[in-house]
Amino acid sequence: MTLTVRGLSLHGGERVLASDLGFTLAPGQTLLVRGPSGTGKTRLLRALAGLDPVHGELLLDDRPPASWGWPAWRAAVTYVPQLVPVLPGTPADLARRIGRMTGKEADLRPFAAQWGLPEAALDQPWTSLSGGEAQRALLALVLARDPAVLLLDEPTSALDATATRAVEGALAPRTKVWVTHDEPQAERLLSAGAQVLDLGPEEA
Amino acid sequence: MEAIALSWWAVAGAGALLLLHGGLSVALGLGLEKRLAIASARTVVQLTLLSWILVPLFAWPQWWLVLPMCAVMVALAAWEATRRVSRRYPGMLAGAFGAMLLGSGTTAVWGTLVLLQPDPPWSPRYLIPLVGMILGNALTGVSLGLDRCLQDLDEGRGRVELLLALGATRWQAARGVARDAVRTGMIPILNAMSAVGLITIPGMMTGQILGGADPIQAARYQILILFLIAGAVAVGTLVAVGLALTTLLDREHRLRSDRISRR
Repeated sequence: MTLTVRGLSLHGGERVLASDLGFTLAPGQTLLVRGPSGTGKTRLLRALAGLDPVHGELLLDDRPPASWGWPAWRAAVTYVPQLVPVLPGTPADLARRIGRMTGKEADLRPFAAQWGLPEAALDQPWTSLSGGEAQRALLALVLARDPAVLLLDEPTSALDATATRAVEGALAPRTKVWVTHDEPQAERLLSAGAQVLDLGPEEA
Repeated sequence: MEAIALSWWAVAGAGALLLLHGGLSVALGLGLEKRLAIASARTVVQLTLLSWILVPLFAWPQWWLVLPMCAVMVALAAWEATRRVSRRYPGMLAGAFGAMLLGSGTTAVWGTLVLLQPDPPWSPRYLIPLVGMILGNALTGVSLGLDRCLQDLDEGRGRVELLLALGATRWQAARGVARDAVRTGMIPILNAMSAVGLITIPGMMTGQILGGADPIQAARYQILILFLIAGAVAVGTLVAVGLALTTLLDREHRLRSDRISRR
């Protein structure tokens, strides 16, 4: 499915962080989002998921979110936060819960195994997982649900080099918007053919 | 059996105990003297005013006097309930008023029209104390429920938004918050219903017994009131929390943290 964005502006309170953003993301393509802190990178991802009010036009396969319904839109265009919030239960619990809510079950085990995350970790409380384990468990859960577009906010920020490369490998074929501060990672994404969106301070 | 008539001298004698309280506060540096004085003054003024209103009302029980009085009580209860909540959202007072009106209104109507059947149905002797007791408890439930709801949405924002991001509807994402908030609002009345009679003799039953009523009748009245209160607390808390969630998770299934403010 193709994600099209037109005339999108990002707001941080009263300030306009960016305006008239536009891009098209065809299946399998990656959009690398760069920019200093505070320029609206996370805001962009949240706007694409409709978690903040949207000022601009979003289309997935030429249909706006209103036509999909926001829950279906977010299941297709899924935001993965950088930090896993404090959650009750275990990753497996959350997967079952989301499965019941959306009527679509998904198995997160294959992804976890691929990334050196012990299977037992999926049945441990979120609160007992390390930052890197929680980050991989959440990403595994999202990938298992197979969204059309991933909105990734520094998805490997808590991972070591080995796990980072394994996650990058699993994400390579996906359609995604990827925010990263990791320069070597940005280089790897560029050499794999990523488009670039540079966010910077608004010109006066 | 007639109750012993209470003189202002007896009331003042009970008030003398406050001097002990105040002295303790000064001696230990608790800094409570001022609040104690204000609270004592409010007790005297508010209850005396109420009795002045009730005397003509009992003498002249017209529906167009009794029902507005009840409406004022509902409004005051809604205002007091929101005053105790440590966060705000636009429309909270109106929401609390609606919750209080629905919770206490339905149970008071049930209690008077169907159960007690006083003549006339709006007889202030029954309706005013009934509504007062129901509101006093409903406001605790509503304020605790709202406080918990707003706190969970504010501090647990990441959790709710993660569910939304994964494709949950606003009701699915807010279910845990709603359940915890309603449960929190219900706890005081559930505790009261469990302890009643063993440890505490509720105010109304105490009053009836002191007023010379048959303890068996007094107990029945008390049971009826507690059930009505429990119903009002449940409905009021549910409505207040439901309205808060409807405002704070908008139609586009989005958590509007920007609508929550701390006082």
